[in-house]
Amino acid sequence: MSGRAAYIADLAFPDVLHVSILRSPFAHARITAIDVSAARAHGGVVQVWTGADVLPRCGGVMARMELPGFVPTVQPILAHDIVRFVGEAVAVVVATSQAAAEDALELIDVDYDELPVVADIASAVAAEVIANEAVPANLVYRGHRCQDDVDNDFARAACVAQGRFSNNRVSATPMEPRGCIASHEWTSGQLTVWSATQMPSFLKTMLAIHLAFPEQRIEVITPQVGGGFGQKAHVHPEEILVCLLAIELGRPIRWIEDRRENLLSATHAKHQINEMAIAVDADGRFLAMRNRSSTDGGAYNSLPWTHLVESHVGASTLTGPYRIANFNDESLSLVTNKCPIGAYRGVGWSAGHIARETLIDRAGRELGLSPFEIRRRNLVDQSDYPFTTPTGLVIREGTFVQTLDRLEQMVDYRSFRERQTAALAKGKLLGLGLCVFNEVSGVGTRALSFLHTPVTTHDTATVRVEPTGKITVTTPLVAAGQGHLTTFAQVAADAFGVPLDDVTVLAGTTRNAHGFGTVASRGAVFGAGTIGRAAEAVKVKIRQLAAHLLQTGAERITLSEGRVHVTGSPEQGMPLADLAGAAYFADATHPPEFDPALEATAAFDPADVVLANGGHAAIVEIDLETCLVRVDQMFAVEDCGKMINPMIVEGQIRGGIAQAIGMTLLEELVHDGEGQLVTTTLMDYLLPTSVDVPDVQIAHLETPSDLVPGGVKGMGESAMISAPAAIIGAVNDALALVGASVESFPASPQRIFDALQRASKVDAVPAL
Amino acid sequence: MTDQEGQLPVRVTLNGQPASFLAAPRTSLSDALRDKLRLTGLKQGCEIGVCGSCTILVDDKPIRACLMLAVQADGKRIETIEGLATNGELHPLQASFQRHHGLQCGFCTSGMVLTALALLRDNPAPSRDEAREAISGNLCRCTGYETIIDAIVDPDAMRATQVGHG
Repeated sequence: MSGRAAYIADLAFPDVLHVSILRSPFAHARITAIDVSAARAHGGVVQVWTGADVLPRCGGVMARMELPGFVPTVQPILAHDIVRFVGEAVAVVVATSQAAAEDALELIDVDYDELPVVADIASAVAAEVIANEAVPANLVYRGHRCQDDVDNDFARAACVAQGRFSNNRVSATPMEPRGCIASHEWTSGQLTVWSATQMPSFLKTMLAIHLAFPEQRIEVITPQVGGGFGQKAHVHPEEILVCLLAIELGRPIRWIEDRRENLLSATHAKHQINEMAIAVDADGRFLAMRNRSSTDGGAYNSLPWTHLVESHVGASTLTGPYRIANFNDESLSLVTNKCPIGAYRGVGWSAGHIARETLIDRAGRELGLSPFEIRRRNLVDQSDYPFTTPTGLVIREGTFVQTLDRLEQMVDYRSFRERQTAALAKGKLLGLGLCVFNEVSGVGTRALSFLHTPVTTHDTATVRVEPTGKITVTTPLVAAGQGHLTTFAQVAADAFGVPLDDVTVLAGTTRNAHGFGTVASRGAVFGAGTIGRAAEAVKVKIRQLAAHLLQTGAERITLSEGRVHVTGSPEQGMPLADLAGAAYFADATHPPEFDPALEATAAFDPADVVLANGGHAAIVEIDLETCLVRVDQMFAVEDCGKMINPMIVEGQIRGGIAQAIGMTLLEELVHDGEGQLVTTTLMDYLLPTSVDVPDVQIAHLETPSDLVPGGVKGMGESAMISAPAAIIGAVNDALALVGASVESFPASPQRIFDALQRASKVDAVPAL
Repeated sequence: MTDQEGQLPVRVTLNGQPASFLAAPRTSLSDALRDKLRLTGLKQGCEIGVCGSCTILVDDKPIRACLMLAVQADGKRIETIEGLATNGELHPLQASFQRHHGLQCGFCTSGMVLTALALLRDNPAPSRDEAREAISGNLCRCTGYETIIDAIVDPDAMRATQVGHG
């Protein structure tokens, strides 16, 4: 805001070399020859590498999931022999200026023999063409969460709602593209890597493995990060490339991608087809759900999430917070000749929620139940706890019915229907949609195990009380705009009963504590968990010393308002600064055997799946002239347990809703039949602007978690889990007035136009 | 042509002070300000004039520094985000962004603040809709825009922009 925060592209190094990467223009082709001689001879060029140069140094990014039947892949750092998606890195130029590197890139001559392309899910399933020869039948993984017999339920159902929902391929598109700078000091053997990453500790370990470099001599530094949303929670091949060049050339190497590179080659997301059906009885109660979800996963698995981050993870919570007894599902993770799929806020949950909620609305319409009533009849309620879903998720807490009730009040449902009828008479289509969700948040080992993506994760934090009573915290968690440092300082300040200003949180380097990363709504949960536990360990010492000095029991000592005192008698005590001073400098005050280290490191990993919950509602208007959908109003109810900082929570909700509007109405990475990406600028790939996003009405419920110190639950993903379903629900509610619906997204003017052309009751609207 | 060849002198008034630098004809103003003058507060999010992250004020008008050549700035008056805070104190509009949580990752913020500043100088008391319209050419991926609009129509920000700070 002051212009002083340093992002990756703002860092200056006196002898830095600049990198430009040549990317494949073909989705699938054999490289028959590369001539880099002209590029090497270009002024300012220091080095040019192709796949052949890199292969002996690093075989590629290895990504696997430890599941039987999972087919791992290796993405070359630079393609050798074959390119498998448009945008795959083919060669790199290193030069003394960015301009020289980019000029030289144009002098590289590559001969390609084009190969047949797997451009979509249908051709991947047909498997007449193989997108990546490491993956037989183009299938990375076939998953089943549940194989309940649902045929009886569907046979006796009063109503079966079904559809085939094609979700669009999108990009997280952080405003700051990716970037990485590496410097190798041969005298000390130290490799220092600056990366705009959400996972610095994980990146450090993966660099050590992929570079065969001693991990203790790698430091990953995270500068200010200009947004991540999951896209920066991967190990990207470019990060490894930059390190290899730094080691080879002995000078700092700088790679800052441009927007075109970002749209071409930074992980894509959300690309799945859901063929779903729900069986409902005459009272509107759900009997069973059936789903087949196919992910268009791209040419390689991303590290660490793999293709499984979409359909496979999505299936885990597909029955949501509803009582659905029987569930039968299949998820296919398919290789195509496209950029690899990766994590983006809401991951595999967004698309499945759109499908499910659309079908619930359809069933409600058929049975004459309001969208609130049909959900109310099926939501898990307090009396059901603990409720085990078909996929084995145990719901022990959550305020689903309260969320629904609150949403119904906020949207003023009865008067909305009146407005909708009045608008229809004037030729306007209004629609209302909603979604109630639970979020697997604060994702740790148990959650990843539940999601059938088995990865062990924990984080640590260090808390130190300084000799003057000030608090220093180190955390491995980095912030990309979520305001975590403020949140963490608040946790420590509350733990020691000191003002926020007395706490400093050190983050942004792997020299600090260890952790998995700021992903999957982990930040607040793991920050609170690790800092809370480390603070507690230090407070044991403080209480021990204070009890000795005040001649009372340690259990009777309280820390509040900057003092350490006997509980209930603030005057019987001393400032925390005096006590800390005694611990450090006055041996005579110590009790026998006292360990004066007022510093502790503690790990945290939730003992079970932490579930947040909430809901969203949307009211939209469809312009019949332009077929544009305008979002008039958005509503959010969030229960993320104890809120450390409501302003930050609401910022996450509003930002997530803007992304939901983008994903459902505007954003689409469009590939042609040859796998060519045709949306490579922000003029073609449409992000929501200020006139596309309404103000959001937000209500909070606060049910503290028993699993996390302080009762915190994570919530960063919530709006991208459920708001897309609410928006599409609203679009389809409006279209239902004329007997139309959309199942392919985004609901762009063209798709709305097509839906209206097919509409059965067009004469319902006077203007049509 | 490399950067060393054919550079031209560019003289500007930069945040109230005279400044000069050499730039090759093809160098964009955003590259020149960032690389030559180390004014890295302006950000490059797309480099084709869509995202608005590189917005600065040239002769009081918000412009995209990535779409202007450095040599075209010769003789112009340029204001960047670095010129707003004085004596270690945030400009009231910056303070308003902070107070309203009008930024998260901060990457779009300098462009947003300068776009808003130009609006407030033109229109001392914009409505929410006018503020919304004014920033519609600046993309933000984090906030959903609402709190940015809150920050712009904040009475303190609007008043302060009119009395001397502007």
